[in-house]
Amino acid sequence: MSDTTFMGVPRDKIPWFPTIDYDKCNFCMECDTFCPHCVFERRDGDRKLVVANPNNCVVFCRACSKTCGPDALSFPDKPEIIALIKQVREQESAK
Amino acid sequence: MKHAILSCNGLDKPEGSVAREVAIRASGAAGSEIICPVLLNRAPARYKKVLGESSLIVVDGCSTRCATRLAASVGARVERKLLVSDAIKASGHPLESTLTLSADGIALAQTIVDGLLRDLNAPAPAAQPMDTFEAPTEYLVVIHDKFEFRIPVVDYLFNENDVWVRASDGVARVGISDYMQQKLTDISFFDQPKIGGTVEQFGELGSLESTKAVFEIISPVSGTITAVNPAAIANPGFINEDPYGGGWLVEMRLTNWQEDLELLIDPAAYAETVKRKAAEE
Repeated sequence: MSDTTFMGVPRDKIPWFPTIDYDKCNFCMECDTFCPHCVFERRDGDRKLVVANPNNCVVFCRACSKTCGPDALSFPDKPEIIALIKQVREQESAK
Repeated sequence: MKHAILSCNGLDKPEGSVAREVAIRASGAAGSEIICPVLLNRAPARYKKVLGESSLIVVDGCSTRCATRLAASVGARVERKLLVSDAIKASGHPLESTLTLSADGIALAQTIVDGLLRDLNAPAPAAQPMDTFEAPTEYLVVIHDKFEFRIPVVDYLFNENDVWVRASDGVARVGISDYMQQKLTDISFFDQPKIGGTVEQFGELGSLESTKAVFEIISPVSGTITAVNPAAIANPGFINEDPYGGGWLVEMRLTNWQEDLELLIDPAAYAETVKRKAAEE
């Protein structure tokens, strides 16, 4: 159970975080340098950058993707996430 | 004020080639000086006079935004930013991966320049529909270490992305909270959304840039953008000075207010959010 929430919904129930397209990523690390929330982590090996802390990502923020030259970061569909948040809130309030 | 153009150098990517072409064409059409990014980086004194007299039109090729970063590093005044990779996405046609500009690339550059000239020549925004908007007088105050974060007690609602809305008769003003302006520190650029555009709740209303961070403005409401704050564009420091009053960002005509209310929080709840966020930092 996450101890943080967004709009009353446990953060770990909201799948909002970047996905790295490793076919495009050139590991320039600009996104990692930019993000103040430590969503990314640098690693050894082929995948030198991973989304290590997805729940640190600020829900609905896509600012890191604007630092990405090769356009390798993508995010979920906002309306789908909003619908999910509303659904969970309704379930919680019905309890 | 005069304009000068600072562009991506455009040597190793097709987007850069388009950016360079945009700079050349915009310079010819607007009579603005081009600033060479390499020379500016190597010998900024060469451009001291022109930077003192001009505000910049910055043309970036890709999201690495070298020209934007260079402008920030020399403390230049930026009036407009253009991003070729966004224009390519908007056009729906991928660019050929050659460094020599294709006919499509040239056409795209001209389209970007045409849009820029339209924006530069557009009349100043009309009088604001919420002229009677009064700044708040009473605040909740969240204290964390040496910081005090103010939150107006009445009239303002918030999203958890630190953006406020104040609505009246189907129109609303939007801005960022005192907490967020303090977190960003000195705001240097308001990348404004397009007037007339529509945005859904939690959609993007442009961004704010400071020396410390870039903040994506997440809309608290759905609606049509009717105005952006000319004072906040001309002097982004207003946003720091008066985030709930003269430093407002955008005005909107609301399209889904009753439903939007479901995902807005009141000042007391936002104060709890600020306490939590400040404690987590």
